[in-house]
Parts: sequence; structure tokens; C-alpha cells
Amino acid sequence: MSYAPPTPSRRAFLGGLAGVALAAGLSGCGTGRGAQEVSFHQSKPEAIPYFGDLVRDFNQQASGVRAVHDTSSGLSAGFARGNPPDLGCLNYNYEIVRFQERGAFSDLADLAEEARIAPSIQDLIDQYPTYPGRTSVIPYSMMAAAVLYNEEIFAEHDLSIPTTYSEFLEVCSTLEDAGVTPIYSTYADPWTVAQGLVDYSVGGSVDVAAFFEQLRAQGSDAGPDAPVSFSRTLREPLEQMLEIAAFSQPGAASRGYGDGNVAFARGEAAMYLQGPWALGEIATLNPDAQIGIFPLPMTEDPEDLKVRVNLDLALWVPEASNAQEPARDLLRYLITPEIADAYNQDNLAFGVREDAPAVEDPRLQDLQTFVDRAAFYQGVSQAIPRTIPFENYAQGMVTGQSLEATLRTLDEDWARLARR
Amino acid sequence: MTTTTKPTRRTPQTADAPAGRDPGARPPVRRRPRADRVYLWFLLPTLVLFTLSITMPAAMGIFYSFTDSVGFGEFDFVGLNNYLVMFSDPAILSSYGFTIGVALCTVILVNVIALTLAIGLTAKIRAKTTLRTIFVMPMVVSGIIIAFVFQFIFANTVPAAAQALQLGVLEESILADPDLAWISIVLVTAWQAVPQAMLIYIAGLMTVPRDVYEASAIDGASAWKQLRSITLPLISGFVLINVIIGFKDFLGTYEIIVGLTDGGPGTSTRSVAMTIFSGFDNGDYAYQMANSTIFFLITLTIALIQLRLTRGNARI
Repeated sequence: MSYAPPTPSRRAFLGGLAGVALAAGLSGCGTGRGAQEVSFHQSKPEAIPYFGDLVRDFNQQASGVRAVHDTSSGLSAGFARGNPPDLGCLNYNYEIVRFQERGAFSDLADLAEEARIAPSIQDLIDQYPTYPGRTSVIPYSMMAAAVLYNEEIFAEHDLSIPTTYSEFLEVCSTLEDAGVTPIYSTYADPWTVAQGLVDYSVGGSVDVAAFFEQLRAQGSDAGPDAPVSFSRTLREPLEQMLEIAAFSQPGAASRGYGDGNVAFARGEAAMYLQGPWALGEIATLNPDAQIGIFPLPMTEDPEDLKVRVNLDLALWVPEASNAQEPARDLLRYLITPEIADAYNQDNLAFGVREDAPAVEDPRLQDLQTFVDRAAFYQGVSQAIPRTIPFENYAQGMVTGQSLEATLRTLDEDWARLARR
Repeated sequence: MTTTTKPTRRTPQTADAPAGRDPGARPPVRRRPRADRVYLWFLLPTLVLFTLSITMPAAMGIFYSFTDSVGFGEFDFVGLNNYLVMFSDPAILSSYGFTIGVALCTVILVNVIALTLAIGLTAKIRAKTTLRTIFVMPMVVSGIIIAFVFQFIFANTVPAAAQALQLGVLEESILADPDLAWISIVLVTAWQAVPQAMLIYIAGLMTVPRDVYEASAIDGASAWKQLRSITLPLISGFVLINVIIGFKDFLGTYEIIVGLTDGGPGTSTRSVAMTIFSGFDNGDYAYQMANSTIFFLITLTIALIQLRLTRGNARI
């Protein structure tokens, strides 16, 4: 990624001088008539007030640039019109990946160096299709998720945190025998099934990144009978997933994310397969709730324990932006350690720099060791192009549709997409 | 029908005829083209708006359906590939099956309820106006709000009531059952659509002359016989309109499903409109444009059938 700048020729030097002079003249115009505008797209609801303040601070400091905070949810329309935001700060998911792989983002290699991203976190970017030879996206914030559990209920029944699959099933049975609902599930919201039960089960025993690399390498030869397929690789962990799901409360099929937060905050179940994003609401609902987090064990070896991570926020500057320089100024401001660290502490997220400080929140302490060892994976649900309704398939699996048939459909969808 | 259509066809012909064809006997030769031009000016704003906001986007959509565009950036022409893949895509085929099935069920339910209410509300009863107002209310509430309210009812109220009454079957929310979730969509769509159909039926029933009822009553016809042999045949045009317009509308069901099931459980309630709409955000732009082109052709066919069946029907 690093490259040595070539020694400038005299011509380039003169050209550079002219450029500087021109830029000075233009910026003179800019300050005279009003600052150049940078649209800053950031729509993660929980972080909107926080970034609103940051943008205000930036605008007070910076001269000649004025950032405008765009919190609308649509992204495609801007790109389709050729008028995308100048700086994006969004979840790194497949919606972003499809812009990335088509070269819609400009090269940020120099800024990536300044950002000093930890290699294990940079890897997360490269696990999805990228644009060759370009640093399209700079990670900003990482979230780690695992099983949330009610410490009081665990203590009451004298349970310790399970580190193997059989221990986990034992914990569930003990709770059930004691009349406590082991797991609160919210099948009515498909994403909660995909990001919780499915991602934790698969990620706990399958090397998700390697699986998708092999799957993509197969190209259009994919299918249920190909050497690498959803049917072959995911069947076992998903059968385990169904075993775990059976410990959910009755009527889970008609409960949504909001219901889940309320019920878990009230102590109606011992465990809840959600991420740290739910902690804020749970704490509001019940400030006294003692919540801990542990990775879902899916094998008999405690060494295999891993947590699910996602790049909650990542930064990019579209190729089609006509304010790339000021956008980069804003980006540089956002990645300064004080600003980035403060954001991550405030939002229960992990820093992405090599020297990012550890999380302070006591509830996340247990996850820090996994993050430090890079014992993490990106969820299987996040690596599937969104045109395949994977979340709905996940919901189907837990509400009684055949696992085998669903995996077959998934394989066929994948192959069809590869052929298109 | 042929006798009624002929004159309507002939009238525009004479109106459009060039001035030269007119026999010189009529003095205001110049007036006619001037009047025509005025009408053209009336047409212009609508024509421009319609072209800009409907025709052109639709034409562009059809154009993109022959490419591999994801909605931005470069694209290549792929000929009919999108269409070919589409016809073997179970997700798309099942969304058509689901949408057409739901539309048919809803049309039947809506028309039965609407006609019953309309007959009741045109009879000699008290507080007719108040009752009509009450029954029309669902029409003024936005679909997404209706859907969210019913979502709560189906997910919480109904199962709770069923538990209290020990009704076994209904204790689990029907929204959570892949085989039954469609029923909730039919019920809620019908609840919202009944008033409009009812109003059309009320208007229809008011066109039936009182004296035919009186005559049949003298002949000893029962109320049921009157309904079957007099009312229904005389308002058949209104039934036709309600069925066709209703079917066309229900094919486009979107916000009710989003609010109730969001296509779930699994993919059991994904409508065509939802599938098309998801394409834009999922990078499936060109592919779903092909889907919407096919969908457009289907609705266009229905619209043409409607036009053909209702044209010149003097009763409407």
C-alpha cells in the first residue's frame, strides 16, 4: 500500500507551483464568497446527534469548507443521479460493497496510511469484493456482538459462562428445568434471526471469510451439488442453530426487536442473541439490569470461541464527488485519534487503529480479549448480496420451513446470481 | 354493444375532419381549427407533465431492462438475458403467484362485503348518512398506518384474546405462520378497499328505478329473487368496474404488506411490487426493471380489457 513518491521533475515542479498559485487564487475566491460545501452522509440513527455536533465543531475550525450533515437513508438515488454525497460514513455492508467493487469510490490510500488501521481490521474490508489496486474505504468503527446474558439470572441458578457447545445446551436445559426462559427470540424481525442466531451459529464453527472466498472462486459453477455450497458447509451449524432456537420463549414468531429489548430488560429470559446496539435501550428500560456478553460456543473446543464483528462505520469519498479535497479534509478531521476514540467510547464500539485504546464500558470488557486476538468473524448474513433475501430465509428456517430446502434455494439463488 | 359503440367512434372523426372537407354551406369555417387549438393548449400541461414524469421514466426503465445496470455507473447490453433468467427465478415466479392469488381473494371479499353494505345502506333505514360516513372512514386513513395498527392487533390482541378464550388455533399469531400470513393481508387490504367499492355500488343501486321493484313486488317476487333477477343484472356494469379496478389495484399491494409482514415469514408474502422495489437498493436495478416491464404489460392488458368491456356500456 505504501509507495515512494518519485522525485519531481522540473516540469512537474513548475506545474505544481502553478497549481498552488491557482489553488490559492481559488481559495481566495472561496473565502470571499462563502465556503465550499461538503455533503456528509451519515445516517446511523443512534449516531446522528453525535456527528451533528462533530460537524458543527469542524465547521467552526475549518476555513473555506462547510460540511452539511445529510442524514437521509437513501443512497442509491444519489449515485444514480450522479450526485452522490461527498463523504460517506456508513455501515460497511453489501450495499457499500457493490459501489466499491464497481470503482465508484476514489482512492484513499494516502489517508489510509494516516489512519493506521490495524491489519486484522483492514482484512475485514478485503473479505468482500473490492476494486483492485485501490483503497476505496477506510474503516472507522467496529462493533463486536455476542450473546447478551442476564448476570443475575445466571448467578441465581449458579451458572457459569459456557465455553463449549454441550455446556451451552446444559445451561439452557438447567434454566428451562428451573422454569426460566433460556433465550428470548424475536423472529418477527427477520434481521434479528440472521444477525443473531444464524451468524453466531455459523461464525462459531465455520471460517466464514474462507467459505465465501471458495464460493466466489467457483463462479457460476456454484449450486447445491458443487464442492463448496451452503448446503454442504452450513447445514451442520444451522442444525445446531435450530437446537438452540428451540430454547426460545413460546410465541417468538410474533415478537419483534422492540419486544425483545423490553422483555430482556425486564429479566423475562436469561439470554438474548443481540448486539451491543441493544444495550442502550435495555439500560433505559431497566437501569439496574446487569448484562454481560459471551461468544456463543459452537464446538467442544474453547479455543474456537469467536465474536461476530462488523464495521459499523466506514468512510469513503465517491469518484463522482466534485468536492473531493474538502471531503478529504473532513475525513482527516474525523480520523484524528481524539475524535475517533471519543466516538467509539461513546457508542460502545471498538477502535480500528493499531493503537486504539481498549473499551472502557464494563459490559464490553469480556469482548476486548477476543478483539485483541482477532478472534472474530463477519457474519454470514452480511456476506450475501442483498438481492438474495437471506434474512427472510433465516426467518423461514426458525419458523418451520425445511432447512434442507432453504439451503438448496440459497445455493440456487447464488448460482443464478453468478450466471447473471 | 356494437350499436352503442359506433356513434361514439364516429363523433371524433367528424370533429377531427379537416376544414376543407366541410361543404361550404356552413359559414364559420375558420372557427373550427381555432377551437381545436384551444383544446390542444388545455391538453399541453398534462401532456408535458405526463411525458416527463411517467412516459419517459417508463421508457428509460424498459431501456435499462436490456442492460446489466446496477442503477449507476457503466453498463453493458445483455439483450433478453434479464427476461430469460427472470422466468426461471423461483423468487419472482412465486411473487407473481402470491400477488395474483391475494388479488383474486381480495377482489371477491371486497365485492361481497361492499355490495352487502351498499344494499343495506340504500335500504330504508335510520341514520343512513351517519352509517355511510362511518363505513367510509377506512378510506381516509393511510395504508401504512392501517397496516401497523393491524400488525399490533394480529401479533398481540388476537393471540391474547384467543388465549383467554382457549381457542387453540388462533393463539399463535397468523402473521407468524407462513401458510396463513396471506390471510391477514387479504383482510386488511379488503378492510381498506371496501369503502370505495361500496360507494360505487351505492351509486349503482341508486340508478335502478324504483318502479321495477314495485312491479316485481306485485308479481310476488321475494327479496332474494329481486336481488338476483333485478338488482344484480341492472348493476352488472358496476360489478365489472369494481372487479377490474379492484384487481388492478390489489396487484400493486405494497405498503400493507410492508407494515404487516414485510414479506415474511420467510418469503411467503413477498409481492411483485416489493420484489421490484427491492431491486433498486440491492443493485438489481436492470433485472427488476425487466420484472417491472412484464408487470406493466400485465396491468396494461387488464386495463385494455377493462376499457373494452366498459366502453359504450350505457348503464355506467
